[in-house]
Amino acid sequence: MDEFNDNEIGKLLRLKKYEQPHPGYFDNFLHEFHRRQRDELLREPLWKIFLQRAQDFMFRLNVRSLTSYPAAVAAIVVCAAIVSLKIYQGPETTTNVAKQNRPAFTAPANVEGEWTLASPVATRVTAQPIRRLNESVSTHSRNGGTPPRYVLDSVPVSYDTAFRF
Amino acid sequence: MNPSIALPSARRITDLLSSGLETRGKSKRTAMDQPRTDEDQQLVARTQSGDAAAFDQLVVKYTPRLYGLVYNMTSNHEDTNDLLQDVFSKAYKAIRGFRGKSSFYTWIHSIAVNMTLNFLKKRGRRFHLSLDDVDASIQNDKEFLELTQTSSPVREADLSELQKRLNEAMMKLSDEHRAVVTMFHIQGMPHAEISKILHVSEGTVRSRLFYANRQLQNYLDEFRKNPVA
Repeated sequence: MDEFNDNEIGKLLRLKKYEQPHPGYFDNFLHEFHRRQRDELLREPLWKIFLQRAQDFMFRLNVRSLTSYPAAVAAIVVCAAIVSLKIYQGPETTTNVAKQNRPAFTAPANVEGEWTLASPVATRVTAQPIRRLNESVSTHSRNGGTPPRYVLDSVPVSYDTAFRF
Repeated sequence: MNPSIALPSARRITDLLSSGLETRGKSKRTAMDQPRTDEDQQLVARTQSGDAAAFDQLVVKYTPRLYGLVYNMTSNHEDTNDLLQDVFSKAYKAIRGFRGKSSFYTWIHSIAVNMTLNFLKKRGRRFHLSLDDVDASIQNDKEFLELTQTSSPVREADLSELQKRLNEAMMKLSDEHRAVVTMFHIQGMPHAEISKILHVSEGTVRSRLFYANRQLQNYLDEFRKNPVA
C-alpha cells in the first residue's frame, strides 16, 4: 500500500475516540460543575441574583408573554416616556418657584412702605442671587422686631438719564 | 442520576454512528434519534421550569460526547475541561431562551463548537499537546485490527507514536477544518447534522472535509514513509 486513502484516514481518525480522560473524570465532572456554579454565584452582584430570581419566578408563573421581547421593548418605551416627561417638567417647576419667590420677597417691602420706587428696585433685588436673598431673610428673622434695612443706590435707577455729558 | 450509567450509552451511540455511517439508511438514523430528542425535550422543559436536577441529567448525558468533540479540536485535556465547564454554564444560563427550533443535541453542540473555535482563535499557536491515554479496548477494535494487518506504518508504530502522529496531523489543519473532521470522522456525525451545528451548507461541509482529507493525506504520508521517526 503506497499511501493512505480517504477510507484509511477515516479509520485512523476514528481510533482517536479511544483517547479518554483518566478514570473517574466524568464522574467528577458534575461535582466540579456544581462547585464552579456556586463560586460564580458568590461573585455575582446582588442585583443580578435578584433579577435571576425574579425571572425564575416569572417563568414558574408561565407569564412568558410578559417577558417576551415586544413586551420588554414596550416597557422600555414607557419608562423612557415617563423619564422624558419628568425631565421636561423639571425646568418649568424651577421657573415657577422663581416666579413665586419674587413677589413673596418684594411684597413685604411694599407693605412696610419703605420702598416707594417699587418696580425698578424690585427688579434689581430679584436679579440678585438666591443665596443673598436667603441671607437677607435670615438677617431679617435674626433682628426680631426691628424693621429690615435695605441699602439702595443713592440715585434711583429709573431717574438716571441715559446720557450725561 | 449516576454519571457512570450515562457513559456507556453515549459511547454506544458514538460507536453505532461511527461504524459504517455511510452505508446506513436515513430512516434508521432518524428512528434512533427520536427517543434521544424526546427525552432531551422533557429534560429541557423541566430545566426551564426550574428543575436543576434535569439539567444535571443533560450534563451527565452529553459530557462524554462533548468532551470528545472539544478535546479533538484542542488536543489539550486541561483546556477541554475548562471549555466544557464554560459550555455547560453558558447552556444553563441560555436554556430559558431555547425554543426548540433545533434539537437540544444540535444546540449544545453549536455552543461547544463556537466556544471552542473562539478559544482557539484567542489561543493562536501558543499551545502544547496534553493528550489523554489511549483506552486499552482499542486492541479489540475491528478497524484497528484491520489497520495493523494491512497498513505497514500502523503495524510498525506503537500506539503512542500513532496517537502523536494523528494529533500532530490534526493540529496542522485550520480550526474550521479540524472541527469538520472531528465531527465527521471521530464523532460520526452525518453531513446534515454538521451543517446545522456550524450554520453552513452541506456543500461547504463536504468541501471542507475533502480539503481536510487531502491535507491529512499529505501529513500522514510522511508517517507512511518514515513510521518510527
